[in-house]
Amino acid sequence: MDNETKITAEFDKENSEVCKFTVDRPVYAGKIDIRNREQAKGIPLAEKLFQIEDVAEVSVYGAVVVVTRGVGKDWKEIGKHVGAVIRDYIQAGMAPTEEQMRASLPDQSVIRDKVLELLEMQINPGIAGHGGYVELIDVRDNSAYIRMSGGCQGCGMADVTLKQGIERLIREEVPEVWEVFDTTDHAAGKNPYYEPAK
Amino acid sequence: MLRVLLLLPTTTYRTEAFLTAARQLGVDVTVASEEPSTLADLNPAGFLTVSFNKPEEATSIIAEFARSYPIHAVIPVDEQTAIVAAMVAASLKLRHNSVESALAAGNKYQMRELLSRAGVRVPGYRLLSLSDDAAAVARGLRYPCVVKPLILSASRGVIRADTREQFVQAFRRVAAILSAPEIESKGTSARQVLVEDFIPGKEVALEGLLSQGKLRVLALFDKPDPLDGPFFEETIYVTPSILRADIQTKVIDCTARTAEALGLTEGPVHAELRVNQMEPCVLEIAARSIGGRCARALRFGTGVSLEELILRHALGMSVADMKREKRASGVMMIPIPKRGVLAQVEGLSEARNIPGIDEISITAHVGQTLIPLPEGNQYLGFIFARGNDPHAVVASLRNAHLKLRFDIAGSTAKMSGD
Repeated sequence: MDNETKITAEFDKENSEVCKFTVDRPVYAGKIDIRNREQAKGIPLAEKLFQIEDVAEVSVYGAVVVVTRGVGKDWKEIGKHVGAVIRDYIQAGMAPTEEQMRASLPDQSVIRDKVLELLEMQINPGIAGHGGYVELIDVRDNSAYIRMSGGCQGCGMADVTLKQGIERLIREEVPEVWEVFDTTDHAAGKNPYYEPAK
Repeated sequence: MLRVLLLLPTTTYRTEAFLTAARQLGVDVTVASEEPSTLADLNPAGFLTVSFNKPEEATSIIAEFARSYPIHAVIPVDEQTAIVAAMVAASLKLRHNSVESALAAGNKYQMRELLSRAGVRVPGYRLLSLSDDAAAVARGLRYPCVVKPLILSASRGVIRADTREQFVQAFRRVAAILSAPEIESKGTSARQVLVEDFIPGKEVALEGLLSQGKLRVLALFDKPDPLDGPFFEETIYVTPSILRADIQTKVIDCTARTAEALGLTEGPVHAELRVNQMEPCVLEIAARSIGGRCARALRFGTGVSLEELILRHALGMSVADMKREKRASGVMMIPIPKRGVLAQVEGLSEARNIPGIDEISITAHVGQTLIPLPEGNQYLGFIFARGNDPHAVVASLRNAHLKLRFDIAGSTAKMSGD
């Protein structure tokens, strides 16, 4: 492996406090979301990143390191330090091997079963109270695709149900899932529980 | 982590935009609504149920909640939630408008009283009770006049009358609208109406953000369709304004004085003014941002939404360097042409292919009972366009609208303004 580690930094267009550092090789097998120094303990890469002043949050998955800075802090300084930490970490031989990476890849059918169980046991019994139903369309890599129907389809509060309820629960209970995508054609909903009006 | 409390009535169009903005900022969210979520038990920090009609009670519930889950900002989306938000902010000592100013902005009569005293031009007005004798009142009015409920918004229940007979009819029609149980429950103000002089001229809307009492103009919208009554259905908003620069300055000054007179100091304001050969005349100012999905017509900085701008301001983050994009932008609220049941929508693909069209969002659903103004408070949907100048944007919006066909109650209504 080439000793020179290449890292590209990409600022989040929508949130200037967030920057994504993509490394040319995996740095972590799996996914971690660390919100403070306490949570970083025992995870060497996260511990080092939190030693950088003004780093507020860190997420690492595969070859991607996402850093959230304190509000209004200078990215130039933080970015340099983040790059140095990642390079030191790789040079110290702490990055996962290909074998470790392969072993960390989630089994899609297992994830699918977990999400299905969650939908059937916890989520659908709840939203049935408003005549709603959620089905799992697919699981691809670390993303789950769902579709809402009945009272949820076209409902004025469908996004609240999705983001505050369904997505949050799935990400908590099935941490292999990082994102939940709603594939519902809400415009075609014929019986939404709440109709938007103003 | 910062937590924002969103006060979202179950009928608001704004839910998706505010939740997306909160996610962009990476802040925790609690959604307070007047109806319970079916998933509330699964995320106790994420949901609250409060009655927006009972602001003191709602404030008490939210203050108790905040002991377990500290709240750093509270965001309203309409006049009613603006009052709750002000009370909550006062209770939690958050940066916000005072309760008194939110109450004044939410009550058309109180607003006019304060503005008149401050020397801000408003239409001549008179407060009426639904128990008043409409025929007797009609004899003492100037015509044309406009009858409007004290607490409703989005032109609901607003009717122009040119004669005594028309006034009596309008008064009775507004009384019928206000007798709906969900409105009647809103208290004394729901049993009062305002009658005011009709002000001829062009109408504009100013979207602003107040910070420590200083107004920053986010956008000044022209409303190119005449709003002369008998009902005041809003259709197209387009920005930047093509009004003369000196008139725009007057509109901005007038809005700033209006906010000051009411005591509004923090957060978004949405003002509606009439412009003619005289000084601008304030019709309304609300302590909230633009309604419906219209905010999608606004983008700031590198694509920041109005909702994110509002959240950033409420959380004390910097928004000073975020300017509205340079392109002209507009939205058409698709009016409901007649009462009936929506059976089918056609022409969407053709409409979306019109140059300049960004997005068409049909928010009414097939099978929905449609009620036009003045009784209704919904739109069929929203059309968004961008272009090099406001004229091009308006042309795109009108052309797209012409392509849409809404089959209502079995008969197809072509949306060409017929």
